[in-house]
Amino acid sequence: MSGAFLSLSGLTKRFGGLTAVSDVSFGMAAGDLISIIGPNGAGKTTLFNLVTGQLPATAGRVAFKGQDITNEPPQVRARRGFGRTFQISKTLTALTTLENAMVGAFLHHRDLAAASRRAEEMLELVGLGARAGIKAGNLTLSERRRLEIARALALDCSVLLLDEVMAGLNQTEVADVIALVRRLHREGLTILVIEHNLKVVRAFESRVIVLDFGAMIADGMPEAVLSDPNVVEAYLGRKRT
Amino acid sequence: MAVSAPRRAAEGITTFAAEALRIAAILVVLLALIWLYRRDPFTLNILAYTFLFASLASAWNIIGGFGGQFSLGHGVFFAIGAYVTANLYIHLGLSPWISLIPAAGLAAGAAVLVSWPTFRLKGPFFAIATMALNEVAFVLANYSDTLTGGPRGLSVPFKAGLANMIFASRLSYALLMLGFLAVCLLVCAYAYRSRLGYYLQAVQIDEDAARAAGIRVLRVKLTGMAMSAALTGIGGAIFAMYLRFVDPPTLLSLPDVGVKFALIALIGGVGMLYGPLAGALLIVPLEFQLRAGLGASVPGGNLLVLGVILVLCALFLKRGIVGTAVMLWDRARRRFW
Amino acid sequence: MSGLLNIIVVGLLLGGIYGLISMGLNLIFGVIRIVNFAHGELVMLGMYGAYMCYFLLGMDPYASLVIVVPAMFVFGVLIQRFVLQPLQGEPMMQIFATFGLLLIFQNAVLAITRGVGYTAPSALSSIVVDVGGIKISLVRLIALVAVSAAALFLSWFVKNTMLGKAVRAVTQDRRAARLMGIHVEWAFMLTFGAGAALAGLAGTLIAPIYTMSPQIGGNFILAAFAVVVLGGLGSVWGAYIGGFLIGVTEAVAGYYLDPSLKTAIWFAIFIGMLIVRPSGLFGVVGAEEIGLREQD
Repeated sequence: MSGAFLSLSGLTKRFGGLTAVSDVSFGMAAGDLISIIGPNGAGKTTLFNLVTGQLPATAGRVAFKGQDITNEPPQVRARRGFGRTFQISKTLTALTTLENAMVGAFLHHRDLAAASRRAEEMLELVGLGARAGIKAGNLTLSERRRLEIARALALDCSVLLLDEVMAGLNQTEVADVIALVRRLHREGLTILVIEHNLKVVRAFESRVIVLDFGAMIADGMPEAVLSDPNVVEAYLGRKRT
Repeated sequence: MAVSAPRRAAEGITTFAAEALRIAAILVVLLALIWLYRRDPFTLNILAYTFLFASLASAWNIIGGFGGQFSLGHGVFFAIGAYVTANLYIHLGLSPWISLIPAAGLAAGAAVLVSWPTFRLKGPFFAIATMALNEVAFVLANYSDTLTGGPRGLSVPFKAGLANMIFASRLSYALLMLGFLAVCLLVCAYAYRSRLGYYLQAVQIDEDAARAAGIRVLRVKLTGMAMSAALTGIGGAIFAMYLRFVDPPTLLSLPDVGVKFALIALIGGVGMLYGPLAGALLIVPLEFQLRAGLGASVPGGNLLVLGVILVLCALFLKRGIVGTAVMLWDRARRRFW
Repeated sequence: MSGLLNIIVVGLLLGGIYGLISMGLNLIFGVIRIVNFAHGELVMLGMYGAYMCYFLLGMDPYASLVIVVPAMFVFGVLIQRFVLQPLQGEPMMQIFATFGLLLIFQNAVLAITRGVGYTAPSALSSIVVDVGGIKISLVRLIALVAVSAAALFLSWFVKNTMLGKAVRAVTQDRRAARLMGIHVEWAFMLTFGAGAALAGLAGTLIAPIYTMSPQIGGNFILAAFAVVVLGGLGSVWGAYIGGFLIGVTEAVAGYYLDPSLKTAIWFAIFIGMLIVRPSGLFGVVGAEEIGLREQD
């Protein structure tokens, strides 16, 4: 596997008798954009939580910039440069949009004025500049997703992990978020995306990893991967039920 | 962080400096209130209690409101401050002004020590544990005769003087309590309008999201708790010198102390900077009136009314006085602006 | 040796009372996920209910069960419907509301009785049973039998009746239960009613044992919390076993150390348990961490 920026080797997670993630290994180079796809229940979010430290791994290791971070809790990984969003949007609804982004910005900007400036920049970047003063609870779903991206970016993260940021969005909103992710990627950010929507993955035109029952069944560029009979079967098998 | 980072905060963010101005305005109004009643000892006593409980409820609000850690055990920190100060004054003749330091320090230390294991509990479980802690402190205070005087309590001899923090006039006490309120409000404002305040709120709302933002959850909670307990300990010290008598029921009664801090904050607006002050301005004078009026004729009548207020507030005034006022103001502004 | 045996018997009898008081608390917690701070006061109301039946109708406390227990059930249903149901999903407000109820109950009784201590004597009060040289007061033995019967009945009820199954479904997954056509609000009212009825049962059964005061609930609630934490949040048998453990610990510690330190001992058990095994002996792992947030 290429890339020493972020590497997963033999990563496994068992819940009692259930193996949610089984022996997953791949590497990312700085500036990569990789999508992880798979049918519902394939273990995508569990894998994600292993990478961010929200869940402890049963076996295997995660290394970041050459250092073993397998046993580090999420707050330490955030300091190292991990920024993430959650599948179920974890916007802090009682705070304003700007204040939400500030919670991220405070990590490297102790001062209130500096943090609020940084947060404002990030909101502009994701297109929420005009919504800064609104309570986050009043934002639309797509705005909340972009706010979560802004909060992660405000951490000055070097790797951005997006957990199904398109779920529940309409066509236009999906196109907007795709454009945003591609732009961040062009600017040099390393991005790991979990996606359910195959169209989105095609639009990224970059490496795709397919999970099924917790194991990797395919790895490559979208055209090749999406025509792989194993992948087709995994998706069609799900549809039949 | 860039050295050239602009010092001005983004629009829509209230800074500590702006908050300090508001506090100054509030203090001027309260000072005028004291001046208005300067010859009325009964009202001055009510004002002194009101300011003291406004301070204590504000202190509670740091961890209970901003941080959402529903402590019912703040009476313990209050009692630590009171006993430390009374003992140092009675046995060593130490000026209570100096005792404020060990009072705050020991209260904060005790808070960190007991919070370490209990902070893993969430919501009501944390409330139960802290309530139990208060009950244990009550038993221990009754039991350890040498430190607390047991059930008989400790009496501080009357020797008026600024150095002794003992005054002949109620006016001086009302001013003392107002000074303490000023300190508490400034500390709360500083906590609220800084990284700590945002981190506490982030932790309250969602610990997973907070961790993902690089927040050390336990450390943030412990910091908030230590600040809150230190102020509560100072409050206990001042209270001991005001009453000049302390015993377990006055310091550790759940409904009169630990729960009351939380209750005042809730009625005023939990998690809002000026909520506890608003709550105290309403509840403390009301209680005095009830106790003088109803309590004399019907035993427990004053607490009965308080219970009814509490249930009604929980049902119909969920955001408290300040929260509801802010909401109504926003609604009015949106309609007429 | 017979001294220690005696103490253990005293502890078991006390444990029966604690178990009885904790069971309703734990039932309410397990199903509705509300920590009822006013539970000790519901027990206290049960005691005064027994006294009223004795004073007005000349009823023996044991006979007054037929009035007090149903009355407390209805009272519990009303509390759930009008105070706690509107606060569903707001744990902080629920704590405050139950605290408000605590103040109301305590002081309403204080205002009415003016703080005079009562007892509701039973014809059985003076009977002492002699078991192998150990003297056991019959009224305490009855409490012990009652808690065992209540635990058996409850666990039978939730396993084998439609209503019990509905309550269990609600406990496990509110949303799914709602989709299956279970009226969640009704299940909650029923549960709170049952919890209050258990408190009423406990109050009536201890009415002949303790001198009543409006504050007596406060003596029980902390022990009940310790029992619940020890036995496991939401577990009927946890409350049963936990009651005995706390009762025996208290009796032994009271004899060998100092009775006034019992609260400190409860707390030590409480904190120790929270650190070692936060879910309690019989509880579901993680319940204490989930708190009351996870369900709508």
